[in-house]
Amino acid sequence: MAQIVLKNIKKTFKVAERPEGRFGVLKGAFNRKTRLVKALEDVSFSIDEGELIGYIGPNGAGKSTTVKIMSGILTPDSGNCEILGRTPWKERVNHVSCIGVVFGQRSQLWWDVPVKDSFDLLRDIYNISSVHYAKRLNELTQALQIESLLKTPVRQLSLGQRMRCEITAALLHSPRILFLDEPTIGLDAVSKLALREFLKDENRSKGVTMILTTHDMDDIAALCSKVMVIGHGKLLYNGSLNVLREQYAPLRCIRATLDKETLQSPIEGAEMVKIEGNEWSIFFDPHKTATHLMVERLAKKLVLKDIVIEEQSIDEMVATMYQEMSL
Amino acid sequence: MKLKALFSIFRMKTAEGFQYRLAGIAGATTSIFWVLVEITVYRVFYTYANNNTAGILAGLTLNQLISYSWLTQLVFLMQPMSIDSDIQSKIESGNIALELCRPLDLYTHWFAKLTASRLTPLFWRGSLVILVGMLMPASYRLGPPASLINLILMLLSFFSALFLCTTYGVLMCVVRMGITWGNGPTYMLMLIGGVLSGAYLPLQLWPDSWQRFLLLQPFAGYLDIPLRLYVGSMSPQTAFAAITLQWVWTLIFILLGKFLLVRRLKTIVVQGG
Repeated sequence: MAQIVLKNIKKTFKVAERPEGRFGVLKGAFNRKTRLVKALEDVSFSIDEGELIGYIGPNGAGKSTTVKIMSGILTPDSGNCEILGRTPWKERVNHVSCIGVVFGQRSQLWWDVPVKDSFDLLRDIYNISSVHYAKRLNELTQALQIESLLKTPVRQLSLGQRMRCEITAALLHSPRILFLDEPTIGLDAVSKLALREFLKDENRSKGVTMILTTHDMDDIAALCSKVMVIGHGKLLYNGSLNVLREQYAPLRCIRATLDKETLQSPIEGAEMVKIEGNEWSIFFDPHKTATHLMVERLAKKLVLKDIVIEEQSIDEMVATMYQEMSL
Repeated sequence: MKLKALFSIFRMKTAEGFQYRLAGIAGATTSIFWVLVEITVYRVFYTYANNNTAGILAGLTLNQLISYSWLTQLVFLMQPMSIDSDIQSKIESGNIALELCRPLDLYTHWFAKLTASRLTPLFWRGSLVILVGMLMPASYRLGPPASLINLILMLLSFFSALFLCTTYGVLMCVVRMGITWGNGPTYMLMLIGGVLSGAYLPLQLWPDSWQRFLLLQPFAGYLDIPLRLYVGSMSPQTAFAAITLQWVWTLIFILLGKFLLVRRLKTIVVQGG
């Protein structure tokens, strides 16, 4: 059953504009001009319980605005939004006790006091029973490996450590929906992988619905079953990542290292061949020609030293997609 | 349940403020120096003024004034002088978004935080000033309360002043939230409160014709009412009315703050990713 339903959500912001030029400041003081920017034009979608959705789009597309509306911080100009049967901005207090939020660029921990104190405060704010709290805290600290950090003031944590604590803070009250706004921003590879693993696990074992906005496409590829693409305030795509991939990145690439430099010769089934010294990149469509056939053909024709088969990078795919959608 | 959360925020913020011991001691030094200068100036006035025409002696004796000056340095610490830095940075950075994601209404949240931050300066800075004041040589000393009843009434009124200061502080935060371009207006509003509280010049030394207004306006409850009770320039009989007045203003500030906050939250824009 749909847990989150958005219907025809619209939101416009007023942006003040100052006249340019030498006396711009003065002119602007008397003659205020504002421009209306449509952050969201008619966005509708629904999300089922337990789904892990990637929400992507270029900067300024309206991602954060949507998340803010869904978490009850912003009131849209028009449209309906129902989350767990409630309208977020009308029943804010009840609504937020069932959701968790992580804004990668904002901290919900108290800067000057030990992490554990922030957690204890959340226990009281969310009114979590002490039995449940102890169990949950134990669970989370072990999964995210933060036992040793609990007594450290937040200001002394590294970014990766802090982010793990932020996630813990967002999940202490066992929310049914979790909004993650760029949770992996600025994290090193190890922390990133650990975080992804944890989120996946939490989604699978607890059935927490997660909505992840990020610019890190590997996050999306690793985690999300579905993606939504937003641009210019409109929802442009809503479906599985694979379909998107077939549409915008249909080709697969074989990177072959040859024994020695060889003159180019046509290869059957190849859509495009790029040559740099003895490194060949052969692009082909796996739906037209099976991968093993391509490899066979290459092996017959060329003296191969090594061979790697890659999907087109998802970043490139998204770039192509944004371009084609003229975002 | 809600009370527990409120108390928890209060406790945490208090613990945070309690850390700044050195800042407290430094502040106390400033206060003590200030009081000594003030007392010297008052002494000059009281000695050389033309006592027949300068009606100032009617209100307060010099000894009362000296006690008033010392206690001012304690009580004025509760006044909101600027927007709470924590809340200010949350408003400016948009981190207020996270506060809105908690199942607590923002007013309660801020109220708990501000009560704590209004109270914490009293621990180090305030107590030190009072201690030094009591140890001064006789002509500069903080004297005892006018009577035991006066002391009790003063404590009651002091406690009420805490809430009056806090609710005005919250109101200022709400006003601040609606202004994207700076602190000016709220500073002015808070400074008005400071001046009218008697922290710079005891209200009884202001012109006679203003006295009725001065006593009825909200900020007398910040400081002047509790201190009048301590030094005995307000009789215990009128204390009840005065303390009630403090609570009436507190209630007005609460209602106004809540009303404006609800209105602001409808139109709030949290910018940035």
